[in-house]
Amino acid sequence: MDEQSRIEYSKMSRRGLVSLAGAGTLAALFGNANAFGSGALDLSALAANGKFNPDKETGPIRVFEWEGYDAKEMWAKYTASKYAKSSPLKFTFLQDDQQALAKVAAGARYDIIHPCVAYTTDWAAAGLIQPWDTSMLPDFKGIPAAIRKGGNIGGKQYHVAFDIGFSTIVYDADAVDPADAKSWALYTKPKYKGKMSCFSDGVAITKIGALINAGGPINPNKLNAAQIEASKKTMMKVKKNLRSFWTSQTQTVNDFVNGNLIATYAWPDGYWRIKNHPKMKGRNIKYMWPAEGRLAWVCGFVLAADSKVPGRSHLAVAAANTPKTAAWLVDAFQYSPAQGAPSVRQLIKTKALIKAFSIDDPTAFAPPRAWFETPLKNRRAYVAAAEEVKAS
Amino acid sequence: MQRLRTSGSTWLLLAPGVLLLVFAFLAPLYVIYQFSVGERMFAQTPALASLTGEATSFTTQMWSGFLGHDVQLKVLGGSFTLPLVAVGIALLGLLLLTVYGSKLVPRGGGVLAIVSALLLITPFLALPWGDSFPRLAELSSEGTDLRLFFKSVTMSMTASLIAVLIAFPVAYWLAFVAKRSKYVWLLIVITPFLTSYLLRVYAWRLILSSDGPVNSLLLSLGLISEPVPWLIDSQFAVVVVLAYAWVPFICLPIFIALENMDRRLLEAATDLGASRLMAFRRVTLPLAAPGLIAAFLFVFIPTIGEVITPGLVGGTNGYMFGSRIQGDFISSGSFDWQQGSVISLFLLAVVLVLTAATSRFLRNAGGEVS
Repeated sequence: MDEQSRIEYSKMSRRGLVSLAGAGTLAALFGNANAFGSGALDLSALAANGKFNPDKETGPIRVFEWEGYDAKEMWAKYTASKYAKSSPLKFTFLQDDQQALAKVAAGARYDIIHPCVAYTTDWAAAGLIQPWDTSMLPDFKGIPAAIRKGGNIGGKQYHVAFDIGFSTIVYDADAVDPADAKSWALYTKPKYKGKMSCFSDGVAITKIGALINAGGPINPNKLNAAQIEASKKTMMKVKKNLRSFWTSQTQTVNDFVNGNLIATYAWPDGYWRIKNHPKMKGRNIKYMWPAEGRLAWVCGFVLAADSKVPGRSHLAVAAANTPKTAAWLVDAFQYSPAQGAPSVRQLIKTKALIKAFSIDDPTAFAPPRAWFETPLKNRRAYVAAAEEVKAS
Repeated sequence: MQRLRTSGSTWLLLAPGVLLLVFAFLAPLYVIYQFSVGERMFAQTPALASLTGEATSFTTQMWSGFLGHDVQLKVLGGSFTLPLVAVGIALLGLLLLTVYGSKLVPRGGGVLAIVSALLLITPFLALPWGDSFPRLAELSSEGTDLRLFFKSVTMSMTASLIAVLIAFPVAYWLAFVAKRSKYVWLLIVITPFLTSYLLRVYAWRLILSSDGPVNSLLLSLGLISEPVPWLIDSQFAVVVVLAYAWVPFICLPIFIALENMDRRLLEAATDLGASRLMAFRRVTLPLAAPGLIAAFLFVFIPTIGEVITPGLVGGTNGYMFGSRIQGDFISSGSFDWQQGSVISLFLLAVVLVLTAATSRFLRNAGGEVS
């Protein structure tokens, strides 16, 4: 990969977190950029069938996206269509779900937004989004029903999943006792005090505490008041062992590769960055599969309630959410695709990623091995407990 | 200056400021107030509020949830539980005695002011050293937010005192020693302000990290056998960085107070046989006091609601009141704008009371003899 390509690649980091480690993969990817948009998807035909009429709409499609997801490969089919000229895609980057929701609730206007599914009810509650017409999204049926369900409120599909991934502990197996590396309870071990970090998200903190308390698989999305209270007490003890609650994965990756940490909560790309970092050469970096199960997330697209181009927004999302872009997602970002079709795996260039993130293992993304996030009715209780942990 | 004769032109000059006050302060303040009493919700309708768990009509529940806790005063191993109202009145009384003690009591008023000031700051003073700061006295509470408020006041007050202690000798040197080059040096002192705040905080992260220069130096000197863990991701780091960040800024009011001092008073003190130390203690320090107190407030008021520094160098123990507000509004995921509004308004009220009570010092920061 030449320097220019390297710079371009570094600009594409989703959440600012993409590794340069997949350089070879990306070279191949850029080399095949023209392959995108060559599928059988016919946007003009789609336009004629839905409840919206894209042919009568005009104006840009404002996309509130994760950094890096403005890549041409992801939207190629739409940008090659006749609609792109009068409705070009205009990207603005979001930092996290909370900031995105607060920004839009405060008046920022977009057409397509890319939040994670746990916040779908908040977007809907605030009246900020409208349901998708899934008949205009041909590859929607390729998303497993269990994943689709999270974005469905009252029978209407508000959230269309695009990317999924694990959240668990990355650890240095040379520094962590193998007996301790089998459970979220690693965080409770005082012998690693000051050498561990955890995500600052309130829901994640409370879920982890509950999993530690359970000592085995329980659904962390359905905690009652007593479990949340018990989790709070556990995490207050855990806090004493933690160096930080990180707010930026880049920060914790840097802390890890600079020797300040031997274990931290991370998403797949964070693990991949640490594992392939030059400073980690020769180190045995592992991505824990706790006995209680990994946490997992689902992100995807929502449609703004006041969009002036809802039909064309459907076409853009239909173009972005295909098996080809799903495979591209894995190669470029080390995330897993919401698209479950076997053809996705065939299209993935870096086969090592399939094994590393269990993309070929249907049990990997299902309980009790992993717990997908879902909208929580009592999220305030989860967050309030975590805030008390932080303030303790 | 030509006197303004018509009320029309006066209003014209005032208009931008008034508009700014109304649209950028009072209007948002009113919205925040509405959130704090449940008259406004994050959700668009009361029906949708069931999804977010918000209050849907007027209520003082959020306020009582925040303020409805007693306060524990821990002094020298003992612990006393006091009502929050009593603690608030006591602190306000001590603040007023500190500011106006010398005016209220003609004889011994200065002593009264100093004693009040010491009583006022003692529960919030901490030695910024180690994992947990050693304390002489401490205010705490069962209420999470109140406890966090007291902790933030302590961290902010400690940082403010350190900043003043560093800035004063610098300003003194500039005013009395640097002579002709003083303005060049003043420019050099404030140079850090020309760079990004984030950049400066990140620089401290590198300086204080396990493999940073401080730990490396201590290791190479044999003073420690392994990196000091609490140098970074700790309350210590937050206090150090906050103090560092504000020193250049507060050099200015102290420098101005010293620069505007009537030098003939120092000459008179010397002529009357005062030593340099006595002249400093009896003349320079009292005249610089308003500037010092103003400088202290210039650091304390903005840092009590700090978010960025605790987030970058505070680790799990550096969490402050501002972080909590940010969490309620944005980052924690609860979108509890109603609770966030309550604690924002509380912080605003504290700052307003503090500013109003100490306005005498802020007015006199230019070195006037009152």
